[in-house]
Amino acid sequence: MTTTRRRAAVAVVVAATLLAATGCAGADRPTGGAAPVDASKLKLDATTPAANGPLTKANWLLENEPDSLDLDSQGSSSGRIVLTSVCERLYQLQPDMTTKPFLAKKAVTSDGGRKLTFTLRDDVTFHDGTKMTADDVLWSLKRHASKDMEQSDEFENVTSMKKTAANQVTVTFEAPDAMFLKAMAGDAGIVWNKAQVAKSGKEFGTPGQPDACSGPYELAGWKSGDSITIRAAKDYWGKQPLTRQIVFHWATDSAFVNALKTGAADGAYADAPNTAAALRADKDLKQYYGPSTASLVLIPTDRGGLTDPRIRRALSLALDRRGIAESGYGGLVQPWASPVGSGAWGYEKAEFAAAQKKLDRLAPASPSDADLAAAKKLVKAAGAPTDPVVIGADASQGRTVIANATRAALQSIGIRAEIKTVPPAEFEEFYSDPTARADIDVLAGDWYISKADPMGFYDNGLSDSSNNWVHYKSKTYDAQVKQALSTLDDTKRAALAVDVQQKFVESAVWIPLAQVPTILVLNKKLAGPTASQAYLYYPWATQLGVRKG
Amino acid sequence: MPLALVTRLARRIAGLVATLFAASFVIFAAVYAAPGDPAVFLAGGRDKLTPERLAQVREQYHLDEPLVVQYGRWLWDTVHLDLGRSFKYSDQVADLIASRLPSTLELVAYATVLYVVFGVGAGILAAVRRSTWVDSAVVGGTTLAASVPSFVAAIALVSLFGVQLGWFPVTGSGSGLAGTLHHLTLPAVSLALGALAIISRVTRQAMADAAASDHVEAARASGVPEREIVRRHVLRNALGPIVTMCGLVMAGMLAGTVVVETAFGISGIGSLLVNAINTHDFPVAQAVLLLMVTGYVVVTTLVDLVHPLLDPRVKEAHA
Repeated sequence: MTTTRRRAAVAVVVAATLLAATGCAGADRPTGGAAPVDASKLKLDATTPAANGPLTKANWLLENEPDSLDLDSQGSSSGRIVLTSVCERLYQLQPDMTTKPFLAKKAVTSDGGRKLTFTLRDDVTFHDGTKMTADDVLWSLKRHASKDMEQSDEFENVTSMKKTAANQVTVTFEAPDAMFLKAMAGDAGIVWNKAQVAKSGKEFGTPGQPDACSGPYELAGWKSGDSITIRAAKDYWGKQPLTRQIVFHWATDSAFVNALKTGAADGAYADAPNTAAALRADKDLKQYYGPSTASLVLIPTDRGGLTDPRIRRALSLALDRRGIAESGYGGLVQPWASPVGSGAWGYEKAEFAAAQKKLDRLAPASPSDADLAAAKKLVKAAGAPTDPVVIGADASQGRTVIANATRAALQSIGIRAEIKTVPPAEFEEFYSDPTARADIDVLAGDWYISKADPMGFYDNGLSDSSNNWVHYKSKTYDAQVKQALSTLDDTKRAALAVDVQQKFVESAVWIPLAQVPTILVLNKKLAGPTASQAYLYYPWATQLGVRKG
Repeated sequence: MPLALVTRLARRIAGLVATLFAASFVIFAAVYAAPGDPAVFLAGGRDKLTPERLAQVREQYHLDEPLVVQYGRWLWDTVHLDLGRSFKYSDQVADLIASRLPSTLELVAYATVLYVVFGVGAGILAAVRRSTWVDSAVVGGTTLAASVPSFVAAIALVSLFGVQLGWFPVTGSGSGLAGTLHHLTLPAVSLALGALAIISRVTRQAMADAAASDHVEAARASGVPEREIVRRHVLRNALGPIVTMCGLVMAGMLAGTVVVETAFGISGIGSLLVNAINTHDFPVAQAVLLLMVTGYVVVTTLVDLVHPLLDPRVKEAHA
C-alpha cells in the first residue's frame, strides 16, 4: 500500500563535497550565492505558472534509467515520471492531490460499500488505434492484482472482479475499502492494451517494445543506456499537449547538476534536496516546491532504551528539527510533527492542517526550555537507559546530520548515544531484515506513501504490521485504523484519521522530523508542469510549454 | 616453425581459458559475498519486505541454493551464451551490455589515442632534449598530471570547459562521429591524463636506455645523422617497452572508466557495473566483471604476442 523510494542522496553529497573541495564549482558556487532558505517558511505550491506557447522538444532529466517500463513488474520513480504521460488510469490524481474519475466515467458503490461498479468512457483509444474495452480494463486489474506484481497489495480486500456490462466492470470487496479508489489513480489503476502486452510477451516494458497505453504521449523509443523519447500521440482521444516531444536522459551526482546548469536539460524533478540546493543560485533556472507525502522520520526498533514510549516522547521533544532542516538539507525540508507530508491531504485539507498544528507541541521545530524540562522529567520517570542508544545512518549528508542531531538531543536529556554508519545497500536492509537492525536502536529513515490519504500510512502502526518495530499495541488504535480504512465518507474518515494520527505521534511509534517537498527544477523560459507529488501519477508533461506565448 | 607457433598459440589459449575460469569463480564468489541481500531489492517496496515474501523471492531466483550450485548453474548458462536476465531491469543481460559497451569502448579508444600520441610524443621530446629545460618541463608537467586523480580532473574539466566556457557538453556520449568526439573529449582527456604521465616516462627511459647501447654509440661514431639515429636505432629499440606499457594501461582502462563515466553521465559499462553492485543485480555484475577480466586478459595476451615482433631480441629468447 505504501511505496517507498530509494534515493541517490549519498552520491549527490559525495559530488557536492568534491565540487567544494576542488573549488571548481563553475560560475556559481553550489550552495553559496543565494540566501539560505528559512526551513519553516518554505512555501509549497501544487502548480507552476501556466505555459502559453508550444514547444517542439524538451530535454528532461531523470536521476537514473528506469528499470522497466512495465510498472507492474518494476515500479520506480524514474519509470513513473516517463510513463505517467503515456499511460492512463481509471482515476486521475490531480496536482492538488485530489482524485477524479478518468478512464472510468464514474464509479458507483452499492451493497453497503462492498460493490464498486466502474462505468467506462467509450471514446478512449489506445496508441495502436484500437478502442479501450471493458475486457482490457478487467484484464489490467487482474494483472495488477496477481501475486508477484507491484500493486497486488491494493487488491487484498477484493473478492471478485467481473465485467458486468459492455462498458462496466464491477469489483466486490470483503469489506468497504476506502483506499481502493485512491489506488485506481495510482499504478493499480493503469489500463493496459491487453493485445499489445500479449504481443510483447516477456519483453514487455524492455527497450525496443511499444507502449500499451492510451495517454497524450506515446513511447517513441528507448535507447538502452542512453535515452527515452516520448512524442505527442497522433489521434489522442483527449486534448493535445503543448510540447510535441520529450527526451529523457539520466545522470547522477555532479553530472545531474551540470546538465541543468548548462541547459543540456530543461528540467527535472530533483529527488534529493541537496541537489536542488546546489542549483539554487543559478539564474537561468527556477525552482518550485510542492506538497508531497514524503517525510524524514526516526524509526525506533524493538531493542534498547527507546522501547519505552516515555523515552521516545522525550527524544521527540528534545530534537532540533529546524537545525536538521537547515544544515542537513539547505532549508529545503520543513520541520514537521506528523510522519506523513502535507501532500497526503487529498481531502479535508483544513481539518488535517489544524490537527497537524496541534501536534507541534509533541514535536517542536526547535525545543524550548519548557520542552527540554518536560523531556528530562519523562526520562527521569522512565529511568534513563544505561546502554548507549545506537543510531543507524548511512554516510549521506542529510542522514549524518539527523544522526548527530539525534545524538545531541539524547545527550541533552541525559542519555548516551552512538552512531552506526553503514553503506547504502546495508542501510536499505534495516527496513526489511530484523537481524540486520539487531544492532541499532533507531533508524534515521525516510518514507513516502503513494496515495493522497494519511490512512495509507497509519496501517504501519497496526499491532501486526511488519513496520511496527517497537511492537506498539493498542486495541483502540487497531480498531480505529480498520474502521477508517472501510469508511468511504471523506469527512468521517478524516475525523478518524486525525484521531489515529494523534495516537501514533503521542506514542511516538515513529518520531516525525520533517516533511520533504517535491522539488521541480525548471529552465526559467518554461512553465506548466505540476510541482506536487502528483507528478508521479498525473500527466505533468501535457502542461509543459514556453512561459510566454 | 608453424608447429611451434601453433603450440604456443594453443598454450596461450588454454592459459586464457584457465584464467577466465578461475576469475569467473572468484568474481561469482565475491559478488555473492558482498554485504546486502539481493532479495531486498527484488521484492519491491519497503512495505513488501515480509520474511515470507523474501523467502519466496530467494527461491524464485535460486538464491537459497548453495554457492557452488548457483555457480554451476550460472557457468552452464554462460557457456551456452545465456547470461540470463537482469534482476533490476527485466532485460536480457546481453542486451544491456551490448547497448552500453560501445560508449565505454569509444571512450577508452579515444583516451588511448590521446595518451599514445601525446605521451609518446612528450617522452620522445624529453629524451632527445635530455637535461634541458624541455626535459624538465615534460617531467614536471607529467608528474603534476599523474598526481591528479581522474575524478578530480573530470570535475575540474567539466567546471572550466563545460560549465564556465560552455565549449563541451557536460553529459551523455553523443551520436555520430562529430557528436561522439565532442561529447567524449573531456571524459577522454580526464581518463588519459594519468596514463599520459606513465607513458611519457616509460618512453623517455626506454629511449635513454636504447641511446646508451653500444651500437648507437658505434653508429654515432661512424657519422650517421642524429635524426636517423633516433628514428632507426633508438626509437626502434625502445618500442618494445613502450608498446607493452601502452597495452597494459589500455587494458587497465577497460576496467577503470567508472569514475569518469559517472562524472560525465555516460551510460557505459562502468556505470552499469556500479549500479549492478549497488542493487545486488548479480547477473549483470558477474557478466560485466567477467567481460572486464576478459578484456584485460585478451589485451595483455595480444601485447605479449606482439612484443617479439617488435623486438628481435625477445624472439630469440623465446626460440
